[in-house]
Amino acid sequence: MDIDYRETLRYLGYKNQAADAAVLALVSQCWEELDRTVSPRSFWREYPLTVAGDEIDAWIFQTRSSALGRNLKGCEQILVFAASLGAGVDLLIQRYEKLQMSKAVVMQAAAAAYLEKYCDRVNEELRQRFEADGWYLRPRFSPGYGDFSLKCQTAIVAALEAGKRVGITLTDSLLMAPSKSVTAVIGVGRTPLACEVKGCEACGKTDCAFRR
Amino acid sequence: MGILETVRQRKLFFDGGMGSLLVEKGLRPGELPETWNVAHPEVLQEIHLQYLRAGSDEITTNTFGANGLKFVGDGDFSLKRVVTAAVENAKIARERFAEERRVLADGMPADVTNGAAGTEPCAYIGLDLGPTGKLLKPLGDLAFEDAYALYKEVVIYGAEAGADFVLVETMSDGYEAKAAILAAKENCDLPICATMIFDKKGKLLTGGNVESTVALLEGLGVSMLGVNCGLGPVQMKDILKEILKAASVPVIVNPNAGLPRTENGKTVYDIDAEEFACVMEEIADMGANALGGCCGTSPEHIAKMTARCLDKKQVLPENKNRTVISSYAQAVEIGQSPVLIGERINPTGKSKFKQALRDHDIEYILREGVTQQEHGAHVLDVNVGLPEINEPSMMEEVVRELQSVIDLPLQIDTSDITAMERALRIYNGKALINSVNGKEESMRAVFPLVKKYGGVVVALTLDESGIPDTADGRIAIAEKIYRTAAEYGIDRKDILIDALCLTVSSDSRGALTTLETLRRVRDELHGKTVLGVSNISFGLPQRENINAAFFTMAMQNGLNAAIINPNSEAMMRSYYSFKALAGLDPQCGEYISVYGNQAAVVGGVLAGTSAVGTSGAAGMTCGSFSGAAGSRTGTDRPAGAGAADAAAGRTAGCAGGTRDAKSPGEGGAAGGELSRCILRGLKEQAQASVRELLAKRDSLSIINEEMIPALDQVGKGFENGTVFLPQLLMSAEAAKAAFEVIKEHMSRSGETREKKGKIILATVKGDIHDIGKNIVKVLLENYDYEVIDLGKDVPPETVAAAAAGNHVPLVGLSALMTTTVPAMEETIRLLRRKTPWVKIMVGGAVLTEEYAKTIGADRYCKDAMASVNYAEETIRKRTD
Repeated sequence: MDIDYRETLRYLGYKNQAADAAVLALVSQCWEELDRTVSPRSFWREYPLTVAGDEIDAWIFQTRSSALGRNLKGCEQILVFAASLGAGVDLLIQRYEKLQMSKAVVMQAAAAAYLEKYCDRVNEELRQRFEADGWYLRPRFSPGYGDFSLKCQTAIVAALEAGKRVGITLTDSLLMAPSKSVTAVIGVGRTPLACEVKGCEACGKTDCAFRR
Repeated sequence: MGILETVRQRKLFFDGGMGSLLVEKGLRPGELPETWNVAHPEVLQEIHLQYLRAGSDEITTNTFGANGLKFVGDGDFSLKRVVTAAVENAKIARERFAEERRVLADGMPADVTNGAAGTEPCAYIGLDLGPTGKLLKPLGDLAFEDAYALYKEVVIYGAEAGADFVLVETMSDGYEAKAAILAAKENCDLPICATMIFDKKGKLLTGGNVESTVALLEGLGVSMLGVNCGLGPVQMKDILKEILKAASVPVIVNPNAGLPRTENGKTVYDIDAEEFACVMEEIADMGANALGGCCGTSPEHIAKMTARCLDKKQVLPENKNRTVISSYAQAVEIGQSPVLIGERINPTGKSKFKQALRDHDIEYILREGVTQQEHGAHVLDVNVGLPEINEPSMMEEVVRELQSVIDLPLQIDTSDITAMERALRIYNGKALINSVNGKEESMRAVFPLVKKYGGVVVALTLDESGIPDTADGRIAIAEKIYRTAAEYGIDRKDILIDALCLTVSSDSRGALTTLETLRRVRDELHGKTVLGVSNISFGLPQRENINAAFFTMAMQNGLNAAIINPNSEAMMRSYYSFKALAGLDPQCGEYISVYGNQAAVVGGVLAGTSAVGTSGAAGMTCGSFSGAAGSRTGTDRPAGAGAADAAAGRTAGCAGGTRDAKSPGEGGAAGGELSRCILRGLKEQAQASVRELLAKRDSLSIINEEMIPALDQVGKGFENGTVFLPQLLMSAEAAKAAFEVIKEHMSRSGETREKKGKIILATVKGDIHDIGKNIVKVLLENYDYEVIDLGKDVPPETVAAAAAGNHVPLVGLSALMTTTVPAMEETIRLLRRKTPWVKIMVGGAVLTEEYAKTIGADRYCKDAMASVNYAEETIRKRTD
């Protein structure tokens, strides 16, 4: 995958400052190692959806969330999505945590950026596929964003059989393992969005250190 | 006749999918399928019966997800009831089917029970053990022994209820499969079969490949192995080819009904039952011995498949006679091409290593491992025996740590049987075991472990009467060892005969005896050999000369695996040269890749890989900093540019003069070369510079006047946003490297330097992300605190006990998620009660000043520098 310096640096706390060459060299080394290590997998399923304000019935889970309600407004179906870079990436980060912490933090940031890019790519394929049939996708929205409860993770992981299909498991505290994994829902509606708000802009945590 | 006899005679047929059939019958999303064993037994019985009618020889119990994590407590859906009911349902279906057959066969008697001599049960009941749904530590939060305990429970209930064999299936992690297989081995006498999920490239989710997985499973003694789920039959053909190349036991293939896609909310597969059966016929012809289906397959799939495959000739895999060990990620075959076993993780004769063991300095040991891997070791020997330490627990810990960082197979090297067993139990793969010998007592202790956990064992050719002087004597012992091993069911392919070499300075014919033994094991016994090569030169000057020459001779005489120091240039020269000369390195490709770019030998010493590597790396970091100014404008800098700068940097930038470009934290820095190296994060130069300084100045003044101010400056830069995390850590690493030099210097001159105080760091219970905590650790250590790192997912009691036991003044806790902050709060409460004197600092992504106050922490630290500042504040205050 093409190196995304900008996003990697953002995860490292850079806002618009330029990184020096040593850090840039580390970033590119990390992406190269990731390219050799990742085994990206993703899986999704479609379910019927009803949204009434902040009451959401996504067939496999029912929840109340105003942020998700806004995101899914006007949608008739929901895509439940999971993706992961695989356990190898965690092992790689862990290795450098023991051997070279500076590289571990860069690897961690690069892997986060890598995962987002991978998800975007899969998401784009989905968008094209659905638009061909006259359906429009909303931006993907993950449990834990805004007031979308992390508890919905359990139902999502179970419904997708994410353990065997993507390799995602949940810890008792609902963290995903391997860590470089994403679960999300994507609303499907008959109308395109006038202005797509996604990523940081869609998130309510305005004091986040990593906000774009 | 049991399932293993049946599979020897003809193709065996497994059943197909269960989940999708239950969904058809009304299983709701989120409902646990295993509850139906109790709530709707008739549905399960009917499904089993349909598979039997379709021609399945085995039916798998509906216990895929039945474990103590999902079924807690008593009542209708207790684990015991759910598992027992699952086996009962299968038994009832089998009786009904036998009855149907009896009616059809017009009164012919049919035995439906297992094991009655001379009669054949109409089907075998496989107790299904699926994945726990958790990832094992260190990546997840389930300990290996906890996974074992979960499986043990199911095995006990299932065996008691009357299952005929244990089917470990849909495993995407070899380590979890090992936990399940061990649980079955130790808690019932049933045969064990195991099938794994591989992806299209033949990899497990956790990184193992077909060969490493087959080594692991056969080592553990499964009766059949194979592949299920994940792929359709078409994609499984390539995986099957790989398995058939490696496996010596019958092979199972249970694919999904094709590749899945979603259509109007339903999962559909890309091929139908007819095509499934067609491809399964090809798979039967390729050599699969047992065939069935997984997700999406139905009795229709199985009926069509059995119709096509019933009369196929059964050809069992031959014993591959290959000697293979494995790590979680890769297999290493010990065969024609010599295998290098790195000997450096061993305290014998190494005072620094001994000290590292006493200080519990795991990082030192890991570095020894990484260095050997970088120099070309294929396997790492692990020996941590030292009289004053607890060897079993140290061995277990070091093996755990090594296998979480290094993907090479390990050689468990100990004479302590408890240490050996503990290491083998938690080892993630099929280990090399060092060692057994011809003494009765040794064989009695070691062989049962080899049989239980799997492994290849080093067998020393000595016995009660010592080491024979002649090759005849050693060969006789080798034969005795092979014979005894066979009594334990251990194949000779899993034994490496150690021909033993004694120092040539005390016996001038010793080397010749060893070489003859090697040759004769190869030619007469057709066995594999190993040798601790360096022993040969004890007591001689310039030992490498002898070692390297003897190594070449040993390889020429058939040595298969050599325990050597891979960091020794001379040994590696022998190795690469021998391979090139012995036809083991096509077109000398490996030789050229290693030596092609090296300078010629100068004065007998090659400018070796390590030396070149160091100066190259130095140039890289140094030069890349001098290129910093140029990169400020954009982030999409081509990767090659750094290297070009590096070349320039080596000649100009690193000469020690002033530089044009400053690192971001460097503005207005006073101090000399060492400070600059720390500010710029240049490890090697920092070490060189501190060595120079030590010739002129005392240690303390270097630390206090050069290093600490530099660290402070970087820290300030970080706080005000001009230095970023990677740079902060690079500086910390450079400082640490310089501290190492000073520490060595001080210990030589007998000086000591008091640590400022002890600090406990832990990532709280339930949280498995500890990168933040590890960053804090690196910095605190630089500021001379002794950090007691309790790791991640640490229960409150462990933190409190460590705080009390070490009487620490300060504890740092980290939590990443809102879901783990309650565990942090609980830990704080417990610390307040048990260790009221302790100050507590907290940090982590979701915490805020406010939140930290609410849960009772003394200080919220927004980043690693804030933690250092708080430590300086509290601990200095106490000591002042």
